[in-house]
Amino acid sequence: MIGSKILLVDDEIIFTNNMSKLLTSRGYLVTAVNNGESAIRMLEEKDFDVVVLDLKMPGMDGITTLKEIKKLGLFTETLILTGHGSVDTALEAIKIGAYDYLAKPCEIDELVEKIEGAWQQKDADEKKDMQEKIQKVIESPSDAFKLFKKKK
Amino acid sequence: MVLDTILTNSDLIIISITGEKIKLKHRINRKSNNIDPNRESQKYSRLFRNFTVLTIVCSLIPLLLVGWGINIHYTKFAKSRMINSIQSRVEHHGKIIKLFLEEHSSKLKLIAFTHSKSYLREPAHLQHIFEMMNKEHSVITDIGVIDENGRHLAYIGPYDLMDKNYSQAFWFAEAMEKGIYISDMFMGFRKEPHFIIAVTRSEEGKKWILRATVNSQAFRSLVENVRIGKTGEVYLVNSDGIFQTSPRFSGNIMEKAPFRPGPYHDEATVNIFKGGNPESGFSNQITAETWLSNPQWKLVVKQDYSEAFADVNHANFATLIFLHLSALSILIVTIFITKYMISMIKKRDIEAENLNQQLMQAGKLASIGELAAGVAHEINNPLAIILTERQILLDLFGITKIDDAEFSRQLKESMDQIDVQALRCKTITHNLLRFSRRTQSMIETIDLNQFLEEVIDLMEREAKTSGIKFIPDLDTSLPPILSDPSQLQQVFLNLINNAINAHEGKPYGTISITTRGDENKKGVQITFADTGSGISQGNIEKIFDPFFTTKEVGKGTGLGLSICYTIIKKLGGNITVKSKINEGTEFELFLPFDLPAELKESMTDDDQNELSSTRIKI
Ligand SMILES: Nc1ncnc2c1ncn2[C@@H]1O[C@H](COP(=O)(O)OP(=O)(O)O)[C@@H](O)[C@H]1O
Ligand SMILES: [Mg+2]
Repeated sequence: MIGSKILLVDDEIIFTNNMSKLLTSRGYLVTAVNNGESAIRMLEEKDFDVVVLDLKMPGMDGITTLKEIKKLGLFTETLILTGHGSVDTALEAIKIGAYDYLAKPCEIDELVEKIEGAWQQKDADEKKDMQEKIQKVIESPSDAFKLFKKKK
Repeated sequence: MVLDTILTNSDLIIISITGEKIKLKHRINRKSNNIDPNRESQKYSRLFRNFTVLTIVCSLIPLLLVGWGINIHYTKFAKSRMINSIQSRVEHHGKIIKLFLEEHSSKLKLIAFTHSKSYLREPAHLQHIFEMMNKEHSVITDIGVIDENGRHLAYIGPYDLMDKNYSQAFWFAEAMEKGIYISDMFMGFRKEPHFIIAVTRSEEGKKWILRATVNSQAFRSLVENVRIGKTGEVYLVNSDGIFQTSPRFSGNIMEKAPFRPGPYHDEATVNIFKGGNPESGFSNQITAETWLSNPQWKLVVKQDYSEAFADVNHANFATLIFLHLSALSILIVTIFITKYMISMIKKRDIEAENLNQQLMQAGKLASIGELAAGVAHEINNPLAIILTERQILLDLFGITKIDDAEFSRQLKESMDQIDVQALRCKTITHNLLRFSRRTQSMIETIDLNQFLEEVIDLMEREAKTSGIKFIPDLDTSLPPILSDPSQLQQVFLNLINNAINAHEGKPYGTISITTRGDENKKGVQITFADTGSGISQGNIEKIFDPFFTTKEVGKGTGLGLSICYTIIKKLGGNITVKSKINEGTEFELFLPFDLPAELKESMTDDDQNELSSTRIKI
């Protein structure tokens, strides 16, 4: 979806720079950070549709970051990027709640495809949530203001 | 494009990446692992010695000590009994002789003191007394009355001795002096050994003597008729050492005995003469002696030592033989058992050593896997960057107007090549990672056909050099099965390796690999049929045994098939073999579609989730 907000998290600066360029040229709004802590801070400040997260990072690693993201309770899907060796970790990530994983190195088209999938998932979740809220507003309009906060 | 390991019999790991073979010589340095064989054998002989010595110390020595102790004790006891018995024997015989002599001397005394000289000098009276005395047994041969001058007053007996004068006879003076006198044996006038008893009575101031000659036959038979064993003899000897009776072996009556009789004493004594004893005249004999007081004669009972103690010695001999035979048999059994034990220990040691090497091999394989995984992972990051850089260039190229057609064509071609090569690297790293995963065992769904093709691919070159072709015949309708790929890989590689080895000496051959799904049995039948040497009737039962090999040392460990067997059994399958010598061998494997329940239970929850996760394509 053109205009989707992407957060790239990878410790390789060249990789994030290149990816930013490629994704931006494909119409995404990309923000890149190089560690887990920055990623969390970013997510607290701004809204993102999809987070692309590397598993192997110095400091706060992918899994921990993912757990933190989940704690925030946002309507954001996470896509895991990994070397093939850490398939097990990727599986663990999916169990925690990542959308899918992708083995590095990957073609840009593959990545875009997954991002689209993730965005759709996020969109569907959001819509469903919205509908539930509308339902509740219809049932008890007095609570309407409270409900229209962008949280799950 | 396959990357995998083969554990060949020569402990060589071949890693083949995209068709190129990199041989990692990875021999286990047997020299450094093995302990010097000389020292090894020394260790076993020391062990043998220690075991044997220990058993001997703990069983033989106590047995022998107790045995000898009891034997010595028993011998002592038996000997003292023997000595007591011979002593009481001599005392008994001594008493009989004493009684005989006392009886006759007191009879004569009684006659002398109850009858007067004048009465007795009547031949008729004396004849009457003579007859009375000999009434029951013939105890005296003659009887006479002698006056103080030594002249015969009366005489009854077989000899004509009336005019003999005894005043000079040795006994006359003694009898006159002592009142009663028993002589030693002497020849006298009648030229045959005899002895007399003389009793002196004093009548009206005048002495006279009643003298009788004892029937020496009757007396001697008292002593000489006693029979003791084969070597025993009984005799009397006087204080001068003259035989008073004929001993059975060592001389005759009236002869001088070859030993001195020693001084008189009261008690009976027993002596044992061991070895030659020229001083005493006895050798290897036991003697018992007792002195008679009147006359001073010594009664001697004598027997060969060996005969006297024959029973004791027999018993001794038997027990000692028994004892030593038992000791010997214990020793022999100990040596045999120890030898057997040592050989068992040796065998176990060798097995443990082999197993150890296998373990080390597996450990090395695992660490290679780990290393490969690390390398592969690290390569992926730069690869990812290369691919993004390429994409940026391509994007830029798309929006930039460049008229040079040659440049555009070359750029496109190079970009495509970068993509192809990067993807090739990706395949290599992914294969490396898969290899590393296969060094750890885990349960996965496996497309068996594809798996076998990979294995065949891996072994193709190896087989080709031996002139062997693979003939796969795979059942395309086979469902994926749940199993442990790393272990299956090991089984397949072992079977193919053995098949290739079996073609040694044959210029070409084939290995047919067949898969057939069996819905009834819920499993797959896999056959590996080769055209190799075949297995002899005698060996076919042993090939699954650990350490059974027909290959020369260093080439075969004999573990391949036993490992296959263990793995297949563990995975819930079965392995059987058919073979015809010189024609070929067929290994038939059965693998269940699903794993046995107990194996699944032993897996963790994570594994279970992984199995059910369908989103993941590996
Ligand atoms: N395909 C075969 N053809 C003929 N003999 C075989 C075959 N497979 C195994 N054997 C026999 O079984 C023995 C045991 O095999 P294995 O357990 O793999 O040990 P190794 O190969 O180390 O000798 C071999 O030494 C060989 O004699
Ligand atoms: Mg073998």
